[in-house]
Amino acid sequence: MEAPRALCSQLKTLTRLRCEIFQTSYNPKNVRTGAKYLRAHLRGPSMVNYYPKTINLAAIAREFPKMGIVDSREEQRLADVEDRKRRGKGAPKKAKTKADSRRTAKRR
Amino acid sequence: MRNARVLRDIKARHGVLQSEVTRRAYLYVARNTTLPAQVRHQAQLQLNTFGKYTRPTTVKNRCSETGRGRGIISEFGLCRFQFRLRALHGELNGVRKACCMDSFSQQNS
Repeated sequence: MEAPRALCSQLKTLTRLRCEIFQTSYNPKNVRTGAKYLRAHLRGPSMVNYYPKTINLAAIAREFPKMGIVDSREEQRLADVEDRKRRGKGAPKKAKTKADSRRTAKRR
Repeated sequence: MRNARVLRDIKARHGVLQSEVTRRAYLYVARNTTLPAQVRHQAQLQLNTFGKYTRPTTVKNRCSETGRGRGIISEFGLCRFQFRLRALHGELNGVRKACCMDSFSQQNS
């Protein structure tokens, strides 16, 4: 089996030459060099553009208070919260001490 | 107003964009078997210090209309129900409801 072995070595030299000419790394034993992490495309830029852009009304209103932009939904929500508080249905006060939180836990 | 889960997803997307290059560099060192084991281990430890919202696997494609996480038709970025609604309204180009009578008329003509 002389001929195939000679062919094999010839092929090896050919790949080495090819790597030299085209400036690619010669890796005959397929050692893990981590090159695939450098070769892969960056995914971040396309990931960020997945959701279509929306206008943030609240941010605009905060930035330019003189424009008088009123978010009717937010106004309604605040009015509802006030209404609930007046009827005694508001959120309970935050517990100041550990004993307070224990008491509320027991009541449940 | 956007869903809290969508906001979290957007946060993750921006985190991935910011840390992607450094993460890749550490990945390269950590997975490179030609480098000494100690260096690779250090790189792996550094990789572990990155936050939850910097990994690309945290990102999930959600419905851009409702924020639903399941049943997303990726070509349109919509969940199956929103896709149906939009398609029936004729807002999606090249999409129309299948109908067996259509194919009959095509064959006869």
